[in-house]
Amino acid sequence: MTTPDEKPQKRSFGVIFWLSAGWIAALVFVALFEELLPIRDPEALGIRTREVAKFEGPGFNAFFGGDGQGRDMFARVLTGIRPALILSLVVTVLASIIGTIVGATAGYLRGTVDGAIAILIDMALAFPGLVLLIAVRASFGNSLTVFIILFTLSGIPSYARIVRGASLSLAEREFVDAAVAMGASRTRVLFKELIPNLVLPVLSFAFLGFALVILTEGALAFIGLSMDRLTWGQLIAEGTNDIADHGHVALIPATTMFLTILAFNLVGDGIRKLWSPREVATERKLITLGDAADDQTGGEALSIRNLATVLHTPDGDVRAVDDVSLSVMPGEALGVVGESGSGKTMILRSIVGAFALSSVTRSGTVNVGGIDMLRSDAETVRSVLGNQIGMVSQNPLNALNPVRRIETQIIEPMVVHGGLTKSAARQRALELLESVGIPAPEQRLREYPHQLSGGMRQRITIAIALANEPDLLLADEPTTALDVTVQDQILRLLSEQQRARQMAMLLVTHDLAVVKGFTDRVAIVYAGEVVEIGPTSEIFANPRHQYTLALMRSMPNLDLPSHSELQTIEGTPPSLIDLPDGCRFAARCPAAQPTCEQTNPSPVTDGEHTYRCHFPAETGVALSGAVS
Amino acid sequence: MRILRLILVFFVVTFFTFFLLDNSPGDPAAARAGLNATPEAIEQIREEMGLNRPFLTRYFDWLGGAVQLDFGDSNVVTGFTSWRLIQNALPKTIELMVLAEVLAIGISVPLAVASARRPGSWIDRVSSGGAFGLLALPAFVLGIYLSFFFGVKLGWFPTIVEDLPSIFRNPIGNLHQMFLPSLTLALNLVAVYLRLLRSDMIDTLQEDYVMLAQARGMSERRIMWRHVLRPSSLNLTTAIGLNIAALIGGAFIIEVLFAINGIGRLTIISVFLEDYSTVAAIVALLTVAYVAANFAVDILYSILDPRIRHDNT
Repeated sequence: MTTPDEKPQKRSFGVIFWLSAGWIAALVFVALFEELLPIRDPEALGIRTREVAKFEGPGFNAFFGGDGQGRDMFARVLTGIRPALILSLVVTVLASIIGTIVGATAGYLRGTVDGAIAILIDMALAFPGLVLLIAVRASFGNSLTVFIILFTLSGIPSYARIVRGASLSLAEREFVDAAVAMGASRTRVLFKELIPNLVLPVLSFAFLGFALVILTEGALAFIGLSMDRLTWGQLIAEGTNDIADHGHVALIPATTMFLTILAFNLVGDGIRKLWSPREVATERKLITLGDAADDQTGGEALSIRNLATVLHTPDGDVRAVDDVSLSVMPGEALGVVGESGSGKTMILRSIVGAFALSSVTRSGTVNVGGIDMLRSDAETVRSVLGNQIGMVSQNPLNALNPVRRIETQIIEPMVVHGGLTKSAARQRALELLESVGIPAPEQRLREYPHQLSGGMRQRITIAIALANEPDLLLADEPTTALDVTVQDQILRLLSEQQRARQMAMLLVTHDLAVVKGFTDRVAIVYAGEVVEIGPTSEIFANPRHQYTLALMRSMPNLDLPSHSELQTIEGTPPSLIDLPDGCRFAARCPAAQPTCEQTNPSPVTDGEHTYRCHFPAETGVALSGAVS
Repeated sequence: MRILRLILVFFVVTFFTFFLLDNSPGDPAAARAGLNATPEAIEQIREEMGLNRPFLTRYFDWLGGAVQLDFGDSNVVTGFTSWRLIQNALPKTIELMVLAEVLAIGISVPLAVASARRPGSWIDRVSSGGAFGLLALPAFVLGIYLSFFFGVKLGWFPTIVEDLPSIFRNPIGNLHQMFLPSLTLALNLVAVYLRLLRSDMIDTLQEDYVMLAQARGMSERRIMWRHVLRPSSLNLTTAIGLNIAALIGGAFIIEVLFAINGIGRLTIISVFLEDYSTVAAIVALLTVAYVAANFAVDILYSILDPRIRHDNT
């Protein structure tokens, strides 16, 4: 569980890892120095030597007791360590190396080579290992070497399969193409790029594989196909017959084997976590701090007061939204503009309370149609989300569930929240698809997302968002992922629908040009704050915040002569984990003074226009600097 | 293309099995003739069994018979064909595997859904820890623990399956005996399925369409079961398919441990008694099972993921 002020987790191994490593070290020690240890002869019959009694219970005389012939179980269990370790070590090393080479070759070269290797892997996996073992064992005996060869042969296909799968996907990634494009030979790419990227899956599998060898040998010994030396599997098999009366004879070697396999798995897991610490699961929580603001009247479709959103990530607390206040009236479109990472998307997420896998703390007030979205019970919030809000996301390729039909996805909100029957919802779905400009809606309903183009999918996402006649439409960069030719169509569609249905709309974008044509008011977001907000025409005519001004100067303008130079904004936005005390734009601001570094300006309101700047731009300077 | 490949798998595997068994040191003719047989008698039996003919002829002969489920007579159990022996053993093994698979899916899917929904919660930590422990428990060790505890200490279930009644005539008596073996086999699968499905569901939870479903006010339960489970279940399906081979291996162990007279025990006994016609028959059968499982996975895959369905057509 993460609380807001908890420090990011340290990446240490933890006690269990070291206990497991200690157990393995102890096993290795015994395997190396077995002859020097003061233990009894594992084959000495207690019934003759009188040292250990038949089925003697565990105790000081014999730590693990005696078996049916009075042999010292402690000595016998210890003797089983060496063959287990040698077998697994040699097999794992051999099988992983050969398997990696085979799998990577197949996955990278593709074509005929891949086909042939895939068939071989198929066959090897289909081949009953038991038969191979029986036949080979009968012909060549059951020495350690024979077992090593057999286990390696049967281990290779698994490694090859894993590596082939991983390299098939890796080979499609850009960096391999890039390396080839830069003139690297295919063989070089195979070894320099793919192999290191495959080390992780192979390594984590190798630890499992190590334990798997111990396990398999035990299983074979258990059914009578043992090696020519004493192993744990044999001990367990011997003990099983007497389990009813003398449980320790089977349970002790069984537990030893269990703990050993567990130790290898734990160490492997611990090492794997070094590479992928995100596996460290923390419970996701959605926390609300503070009380709601009182001023919730005025008929706004959406009213946000002093909203602050903190994401608790493994790297630290990200202040994604900081003291944001804005409101949207019914029928009004508000543009939210900012660079990527400015927190503009997080404003939308904070309204709907849907975040990916991190804990989040929100404070302030978000009111939708008079309902407090931060403090109402889950049922009420879901009802507002379902009935009053529609949302469109950035990437249409990812906005629809790939395994559900369009019909299922579009009627779901109408059935769950709108209270429609399936057939009524279907009828309405057809109307909706028609209204968002989708040809042959009947057929589309039966299709899956992958059968449609990006623009078509975005239209469907819009149709779903409109399904329950929302009062508020949240559009998160709805056109960024689309072709330029489609972008304008989608924006027009959104705008038409917004006006026709008198919805309030929050249009999040990084593109000032989009805002200009389709919104009534604009909020400029920088480093989690709204730095300037006002009517669109006013903002474009009289930008006051230095950041807004810089944004406008970096925007292409067809009204200007063609030799006009576009200005870029130097530097990068501050990290949302470690924000400066003063104005957040100060480090990049051409007009910054010492004051700017020390205190963050409070919002200044001038009519409908509000901005946060110590040294605002003169009115009417918008384009004066753009001509060189 | 894929069918051809799997057929090829079948031929190669059976051929090599036949080859390996043929070159094993044991002499089936001598085994059938008995301990006190004269060399002449053995030679005569060898002639009768057709063992003197060329290897390839015998392989194709055998294959021709195998297609009609005629695998020849058992070398050991007089008066029984190999197929008859398999017929007696097969239902028990199939029941064991089906019960195990049903138990495994029934346990792992709800646990994975609950864990993925709240990673880091107590239920997630307990089930992940449990799965981790189970991964380290070989079937025969787990079986020993379970039969020691539930069988010997508590006495709730028998530790040995004897005179198993038909599941159709006496389901309770049957399940009472088969419970411990099936559970042992299932728990090993649970560990694999749970981990796989949990991590795939956590990945799916980060997709935009899940965020949008949340933003549309869908309940968490609905999101997990309707939106997240299916797109997350592709790797699980593969694992179930691939596991058929491992499951057969596991069934062998379980059958020995609980004294179930299924295919596993039959194989082991046949191997030790050098009843090679039965061994060859079983290998052919297992290969067919593996090939069939592969097909089933492919079909299931295309049901679960429409993208694959349309690629193939």
